[in-house]
This record gives sequence, structure tokens and C-alpha cells, in this order.
Amino acid sequence: MTKYVLKRLLHGAFSIIAVVFIVMVLVYGLMNRDLVFAKDPLLSRQMNNAREVYKFQKWEEFGYLDYVTYADYLTELTRNGEIDEATRAEAVKFGRTAEGDSELTTEYVQKFREHYESQGYSVVRKDAVVSRGRLANGGQQQLFAYKDYSVFRRLWNYFTSIIYIDNIHYVPEETDIGERGLTFTWHDPMYGGEKFSPALMGNGTRYKYLLYFDDHFPFIHQNMLTINLGVSYSVTRGTDVFTSMTQSQGSWVQSMITYPTGHTELSADNLHTAAYVAGSRETSELLMARFTDDYTNTQTVQKNMSRLGYSFVIGIIATIFVYILGLPIGVLMARYKEGVLDKVGTVYIMFISAVPSLAYIFMFKGLGRAIGLPWMFDMDNVSKFMYVLPIVSLALPSIASMMKWMRRYMIDQMNSDYVKFARSGGMSDTEIFFKHVMKVAAIPIIQGIPGSILLAMTGALITERVYMVPGAGGLLIDAINAYDNSVIVGVALFYAILSVLSLILGDVLMAMVDPRISFTDKAR
Amino acid sequence: MEDFNKKYNMTDAELFAPIDKDELESEKITAPRYSYWKSVFRVFFRNKINIIVLVLLAAVIAFAYIYPSVIGYNAKVDPYINLNDTAAWHLSPSAAFEHFGFAVKWLFGSGANGGSTFDAIWNGSRISISLALICAAINMTIGIILGAIWGFSRRIDMVMNEVYNVLGNIPYTLLISVMVMVFSPSFWTLVFAMTVIGWLGMAYYIRTRVIIIRDHEYNLASRCLGTGIFKIALRNILPFMTSVIVLEIAAAVPGYISYEVFLSYIGLGLSEASLGRLIYEAQNAMVTPGWGWEFWTPVAVASVITVVLYVTGQNLGDASDPRTHM
Repeated sequence: MTKYVLKRLLHGAFSIIAVVFIVMVLVYGLMNRDLVFAKDPLLSRQMNNAREVYKFQKWEEFGYLDYVTYADYLTELTRNGEIDEATRAEAVKFGRTAEGDSELTTEYVQKFREHYESQGYSVVRKDAVVSRGRLANGGQQQLFAYKDYSVFRRLWNYFTSIIYIDNIHYVPEETDIGERGLTFTWHDPMYGGEKFSPALMGNGTRYKYLLYFDDHFPFIHQNMLTINLGVSYSVTRGTDVFTSMTQSQGSWVQSMITYPTGHTELSADNLHTAAYVAGSRETSELLMARFTDDYTNTQTVQKNMSRLGYSFVIGIIATIFVYILGLPIGVLMARYKEGVLDKVGTVYIMFISAVPSLAYIFMFKGLGRAIGLPWMFDMDNVSKFMYVLPIVSLALPSIASMMKWMRRYMIDQMNSDYVKFARSGGMSDTEIFFKHVMKVAAIPIIQGIPGSILLAMTGALITERVYMVPGAGGLLIDAINAYDNSVIVGVALFYAILSVLSLILGDVLMAMVDPRISFTDKAR
Repeated sequence: MEDFNKKYNMTDAELFAPIDKDELESEKITAPRYSYWKSVFRVFFRNKINIIVLVLLAAVIAFAYIYPSVIGYNAKVDPYINLNDTAAWHLSPSAAFEHFGFAVKWLFGSGANGGSTFDAIWNGSRISISLALICAAINMTIGIILGAIWGFSRRIDMVMNEVYNVLGNIPYTLLISVMVMVFSPSFWTLVFAMTVIGWLGMAYYIRTRVIIIRDHEYNLASRCLGTGIFKIALRNILPFMTSVIVLEIAAAVPGYISYEVFLSYIGLGLSEASLGRLIYEAQNAMVTPGWGWEFWTPVAVASVITVVLYVTGQNLGDASDPRTHM
């Protein structure tokens, strides 16, 4: 069994990688890369050469290519000790055109060119754009090299950076931040240093608090291991896909917060999430007054659930309804075949399978409005009734398919030999039906349970959009509409992991309930 | 015998004539005449509902394919012919009759720019139905052929199972939307996006059915007698699958129409004025009092089309199962 599961997991991991590979080929390879700027208001403000450079910088952020400027190259040389600071300062000044370079600059520009071209980079020199003797807006001369990543390189970069384990070398070694290390305390300074609350804190790490307790579910939290599925560019600017799925949303919950400097203020900051931002205190008086170190980037406490939370709550309640309604109805339809219930049920199943899902979701919405249910999700005044319509819209079609399959499995079983044998042995129909047929027919249904639970997290595309639920389902569509590559890849990975896991768990669960199924080779 | 001779006053030789022995004829087994397709249609038309459904189907097809060309509908011009007449915008049918006088084209009122909703819907239906039929034809053909090969050859089975495990994990919506995003959202792009891995589900389904039937005793016997694999597939297995295939197609065609509507609704559909596109564009009209016609009529027509196609297919599928031919 263990061996089988491991084998399946290995296969699953391979197919997840393949899925991400295919999606990357589609998104990075086939799509016109200028489209990523379609929703970027900043690009239109950039002119001339600055515009080109801006594009390349963004493409580097997106993972399209590796981009190095001439200045970066010289800084690198200085750091390695190949040239001194004075030479760097002199060499970095390259002319508006190649003819305008000084001798020293020409030499280093030539070195830059040779160094990168030998590695397959393309070196671009943009002469200054001059209009009427003056430098045009954004017309500064530019010199840089770039090289497109291959798909495999991109895939490697992506998968090697998915899981980040926090360590005390996160902050660049040159930065002086005092003694690096981890400290463990029984009394979390966040609570004044007297209350008993264990916490693990780091200096030099990305997050200040690596392990801590608070009064929110699940009470113990960690920042040691973070998951990076890809940083969003336009949908949720600068936030990782995983974070934007799991972070709370809506309006801020403010409370009196005592900052490390002792300053007290009404704020929604969650100091436990403080992350390092280099040099942030120097640029902001506000942060200087609040923090004693550069761990200044905090998440805020917000009132509402995360995207994943909303999708999961709605999805899981709908799934529960599907099982407690769909299964018995399907069983009864099979038991009293050709009866009234069977005929009504068949019409219902036909209706759901034939009519476009959009049509009946809108129908439910219209009906719900008519009887006075809230038909739009409003995060500011959450009421329980708001969940009713999305859950109903999500559950009704799945109930139909559950009914259809359960009925089909039951009827198939009823024609099998063991049922005829039991009947000839004198068992009553009801007894056969509930004692034997149902047990066997339920097995394929049981196989689907892990899937329906896990996939509840991915959210429902139409339902969430129709009722404006701020769930996970909308993220993919938003990302596609905004050409947000990394979100698309991240969401695809997330979906793929969930679907692979649910298939494996389904098979394992089935093997557990059905003694006839064995995964060991011998039994076969 | 004696009695007969006496009664007719004839000898044996006169009463009976010997017939030639026919070797060929003696090999024939007499059975009632049975034509498969005749029986399919006999069973199909036995159910009176099917006649109604067929009439509806004919009406839908006539309106979708003949009506727009009869009135010379031009999707680039006609929705905007009343653009300057603001009084003609967003009219309910009764208001439209009042404004323009009675005509079939104002049966569903007028749209956002004063164009006829009725005309737009049937033009859109033509695009949506064509898309669904083309996608279904491609996916089913590839799916059935590949599925049959997949089911027959154990070596191919191993390779294809791996392919299925990988491709099956790609979220279908994601793939289609990325395709639509990458290429321009034209009719043939959508056909390509929906067929590029759309056949996989059908192929897998056929493969499973083929494997089940392949190892039945009668096929084993047939193979022992030296029947070729091709003939077994065509003569022994295909007849078993006809009803299954018809049922699958019946579910697939409305499925593609629904899918097109769904894609358009989330903003990733066709750029042409298909049914889904109409619904997408009329989204805001739904919540505006008095404009509901614009939104609900395409939704209703889409539902009628899918239901009619679905019911026809289901009943044809039932009728094509030889077990119902008794």
C-alpha cells in the first residue's frame, strides 16, 4: 500500500511538473509579451528609451529574461575587486552616442559587450534621444544586455523557489543589523513581555517572528516556511498568489497596538507578520517612530475571510448538501424505478445537464431576489443569508449529477448475479437493496469524496462571479483578463496539486472501504 | 397417403415432384428480417414526444440557419441601424411594436443600440450551434478513432495512460482561456482551443468500453477463428458502442454551447456576436428594470436550443440501443 501510494505520488509530482511546463510554454512562449503591459498604467508615462528599459525590467520581474545594465556590471566588477571605485565612477559615464565615449569607457563597454555576448546575451545600446539640442523626456542613453530564459531554466527557477525556508542569511551580508541569530523566548515581547507565550524570533531572517501564538485560529503560526507560487503583477500588485489566496480581506480591524519603540496607536497592523525591508526606516519618519529595526512590512488584520476561505466555506457546505440530498434521492429513484420520483428526478437531471449553467444560475438568482434573499455578496455587512444563493447555485447541479450516477450504479448492481442469487435464497428486495446493493454501489461515490472536498477550495467560476463572491475562483479569470502570467502559472499549479492529491486520496479511500481492491502486485 | 390418391384419383408421381438438392440454400438460417437503422427510427418515432422535439429542432435550425440569410442579416451593420434613434433603445416587445409597428423582428424587443434582439439572437445561435457541431465532430472523430486504438493495443495503452494522467490534470478552463488569450478570440481559435485536448475525455471513455468488450468470450472465439482485429473492431465492437456514442454526442453538443456561453460570460469568449457574447453584453441590462428582455431572451433561446438538442440525442441514443428493438 505504502509503496503504491509513493509510486502514485511520484507519478503525480511528474504530472504536476508537466502541467506547469505546458502552461508556461503557453503563457510565456505563445503569448505576445507586450500584452503584459495591457493593464499597466505606468508604461504610458514612460517615454523613449526609459520605456524600453522599463519593459525589460518588468520582463525580468515576470521571469521572461535576465536583464543586466552596464552599471550593474561595473558594480559587480567593483565588488569582486577587479576595478576600484574611482575607475567605476569614471567608466560608468558612457556618452550619448558611442563616439562620445571616453577611452576608459570604450574599453569597459567593449568588455561588457564581450563578456555578455559570449554567454549568449544580446547587448543593446540606445543612443540618447535629443530634440532641439536637449535631452527628450526619458531619452537618457541606455546600455544593457538581456537573454531570454529557456523554458527549462524558467521551470527550474520556478520550482526551486516555491518553498522558501527562512534563514539568518536572508538580509544581505554587507548590511549591519547587529548579531544575527535565532532567539527563543517564553514571553513574547508583543504582549508586553510578561504574559506566557512562547515565540521564536530571528535577526537576519526575512520574518521577525518565526513561530508564535495568538488568539486566532489555529493559534500557533509559523513563518519559517513560506510558499511562493508567483508574484502577481497586476491583479494583486506585488503579492504572491498563495498569499493573496490565504490573506484576510475586507475592511481593517483596528486595535490599540504598542509598537516596538513603545509608541501606541490605533492600527490594524499585525506585528507578528513583520518582514524585513532594507533601509525602510531611513526613508520614513512614520516607521522610525514605530519600529526599532527594519522589520517594518506588516500585514494588516482584516475583517473578512480569505479568498480560499470563502470558496471553501461555500464549496464545502454545498458538497455536504450534495451528499445528504443527492445520494438518498438517487437511491430512492433506483429503488422505485419508473415511479413518480424517478420521473421527476430524471426531468430535473435532464434540465441541469442540458440547460447552460449560466442560465439556471441566473434563474436561481432571479428567484432568490424575488423572495427577498440578498443576491450580492457584501463584505461590509456579512449576513448568513448571503451564503444561501451561492450555495444553492453550486449544490443544485452537483446534486443532479450525484443523483444520476447513484441511480445508474444502483441499477447496474441490481442486474448482477449476486442479487439474483440473494433473491432466490429468499431475501426480501428491501433487504437486498439496503444491505448489499447500496454498499457496492457507494464505492465509486466514496472515491469521489476527497476530490469534492479538496476541489471546493478552487472555487466556482460562474457562481462566484454572478454573486460577486470574493473567492478563489475569480483569481484565475482576473489574472487571465489582466495577462498576469505568474498568477496564471501559480493558480494552475495550485489546481494541479489539488486534483492530483484528490485522485490519489480517492483511490486510497476506495481501497480502504472495498476489501476486493488491493494495490499490491501479488494480489493481482 | 392412400386417401389422397383415392380422393384426387392421382398416383404418387403425379402428386409429388422431387426438387433438386440445393447445397447453398440448406446452409441458410432463416430469421425475421431485421434492419438496424429501420428499427432505430421505428423505436424513435414510437415515442410521440420525439415528434414534437424534432419539429422544435427543425424550427430552431430553420431560424438559426435560414432566417438570417433570408432577411440578409449583417452582424456588423444591423445591430446599429437605430443608433441615432435613442427612443428605440432598450425597448420591451410591446414598446417596440408601438415604436416600429408590428414585425416579427421586434418579437423580443430591441437591444442596447436599438437593433432587433430577435435577429441578433438567431444570428448568434447560428454561430454557437456551428461552433458546437464542429467541435463535437472533431472531438468525437478523433476521440473514437484514438480511443479504439488505445483500447486495442496494450503498448499504446501504457503510453496513452501517462499522457492522459498529465493532460487530464490541466484545468480545462485554464487551457481554453490561455489559448483564447494567446491567440485572438476568433471562431477558429475557439474551435482549436476546445478540440486540442477536448478529444481526450471521449477517447478515454471509448478506450474503457473497448477494453470491456474486447475480452468478451465471443470476441475471443472470433479471434480464434482468425478474424482480423480490424474486422472485430468494426463488426463485433462498433455495433455495441453505437448507442453509447450517440448518447455522448447528445450530451456533448449542448455542452459546447453552454461552454461557449460560459466563456463569453467571463469575458474570454468569441469576438463574434454569438449567443454567449449577446448574454455577456446584456449582463447589465439584467439588473436594469424594464431591460430584462435583452438578457433573458438569449438565455431562454440558448436553453431551448440545448434542451432540444439534448432530448433528441438522448432519445436517439436510446433508440439506437438494439436491446430496445424488441
